[in-house]
Amino acid sequence: MSIDVLSVRKRQEGFQFVNELESDSDSDVEMANDEDKVDSGEVAKDGTIVTPGELVTDDPVWMRGHGTYFLENQTYASVAGTVSRVNRLLSVIPLRGRYAPETGDHVIGRIAEVGNRRWKVDIGAKQHAVLMLGSVNLPGGVLRRKSESDELQMRNFLKEGDLLNAEIQSLFQDGSASLHTRSLKYGKLRNGTFLQVRSPLIVRSKKHTHNLPGNVTVILGVNGFIWLRKTSKVDNASDASNVSGRNAATLSGASGDYKPGSNSVSITRLEEESSWEIYSDKNDPIPEAMKRTIARYSNVIRALAHCEIGITEARVVAAYEASMAYSHVGSLIDKDNMESIGQDVINAEKMRGNA
Amino acid sequence: MSRLEIYSPEGLRVDGRRWNELRRFECSINTHANASDGSSYLEQGNNKIITLVNGPQEPKLRSHTNATKAVLTVSVNITRFSKTERSKSSHRNERRVLEMQTALVRTFEKNILMHLYPRTQIDIQIHVLQQDGGLMGSLINGITLALIDAGIAIYDYISGVSIGLYDTTPLLDLNTVEENAMSSVTLGVMGRSEKLSLLLVEDKLALDRMESVLAIGIAGAHRIRDLMDKELRKHGEKRLANVSSNQ
Repeated sequence: MSIDVLSVRKRQEGFQFVNELESDSDSDVEMANDEDKVDSGEVAKDGTIVTPGELVTDDPVWMRGHGTYFLENQTYASVAGTVSRVNRLLSVIPLRGRYAPETGDHVIGRIAEVGNRRWKVDIGAKQHAVLMLGSVNLPGGVLRRKSESDELQMRNFLKEGDLLNAEIQSLFQDGSASLHTRSLKYGKLRNGTFLQVRSPLIVRSKKHTHNLPGNVTVILGVNGFIWLRKTSKVDNASDASNVSGRNAATLSGASGDYKPGSNSVSITRLEEESSWEIYSDKNDPIPEAMKRTIARYSNVIRALAHCEIGITEARVVAAYEASMAYSHVGSLIDKDNMESIGQDVINAEKMRGNA
Repeated sequence: MSRLEIYSPEGLRVDGRRWNELRRFECSINTHANASDGSSYLEQGNNKIITLVNGPQEPKLRSHTNATKAVLTVSVNITRFSKTERSKSSHRNERRVLEMQTALVRTFEKNILMHLYPRTQIDIQIHVLQQDGGLMGSLINGITLALIDAGIAIYDYISGVSIGLYDTTPLLDLNTVEENAMSSVTLGVMGRSEKLSLLLVEDKLALDRMESVLAIGIAGAHRIRDLMDKELRKHGEKRLANVSSNQ
């Protein structure tokens, strides 16, 4: 065997590959040196790019996180990405990958399957998420027990292909998620359009439902699924209660007449709202102009995604304003126009930062 | 016209290469960002190959579910126009293609960290747009790149290359003419090591020549690995620069 190895080495010196003649044989040599530099105890620096099979460290004190594997006391990268060190935990964050659900994420999903007391929901993750019959609001109020008749008419609530927004309730051992829609802001989606972007572009924040100018509401699902719709009564109500709630909180410090829960949705109201209407399939009549506005929002979000700009409420509004330079909505998805809109948004942000 | 000279006394092959030279190797990744989780486009000589990886995702069929690890499927679509003459049949259920698919599944099952993706399926779709010998090796390179683009955890690169034996001289990275004229071996090499994850020998070959054939094959595969690695890093750096300027 050792003879084998020797003969390879010897021959290699005499090798001449056509590709080497092209240009940059130097860079390759350097690269090889870089890798050798990871000596005993040393770790590739935070944020350096590593590729699969590359030695990250041979110091066994490091804990091995995602994107690494351990062989003979040495830690190697298993994905292409950047090295991240948190205390003693060493992991490689991949450049690309599917959405990994986390508890509390606000996501949008599509029903893939109706099963025994549960729905399977496609949320763009490695596996479908589960939505149990017990974790949705059913017509007739939340505090009602789920009966056998509910089980039999599950398809009347949500059927295959329906879109809904929900929150991740918990994660299973294998990384798949369990959802719930036990709030008025969650549930079936209608009156709008769907679009999908890469999930890392949506940043986790306190609020994922935003009312935009032009009577349009956007739900930015953490999984990269986005829903744009006509602003509904519920959207307005939640917005109003949010604002007044904030005011009340600031006032309470001064005068102390803050009544907790006075502005949130009462349980009786919840019962009223969770009528059959929340599972309706019928769209409200939407005027032509509104459809155009929604399409414009949809295209500017696409433009932001194309430029790999993180999608936030402020940026969507900024991009929408920038897009007004183009009268024809369809022209927004031309590559040049997308890039110029992205540039406008970045520039506007920089200007604001300087001012 | 006389018969083609496969390897001239001056040491030149039909396309002007020396015995130890690779063909032109160009690759790019993330070419079909909207159609797949990971994708690559590869040109190795006149081979032109698109590879798409979808997954890990929910298995299409219940029977494809494995509670402990992922299930890998590979489908190779050799287009009818991929050779110099248009073929009358689609190559879908040809024995040769089915064997290739099985060999690729076996190779990559051992290279992907399958236990990280229980109850999921990873689909690999390959479209051969143009072929000119050493197809299997090019397929392996395409899959490696697409898997890395998809962010699927693998132990190491696998780089594939074919080697022929002409009389006593091993020839690296064969094209169709050479492949038809001599017996050949296809290798799949793990990263920079000398571990073979695939050794495909379909012709008779003198055993005492095997060592020199493997030696040149492994060295060529390492060179291909470096070329793929360079492209990947270039892509990664571009991507990082983009992200840091936009956040």
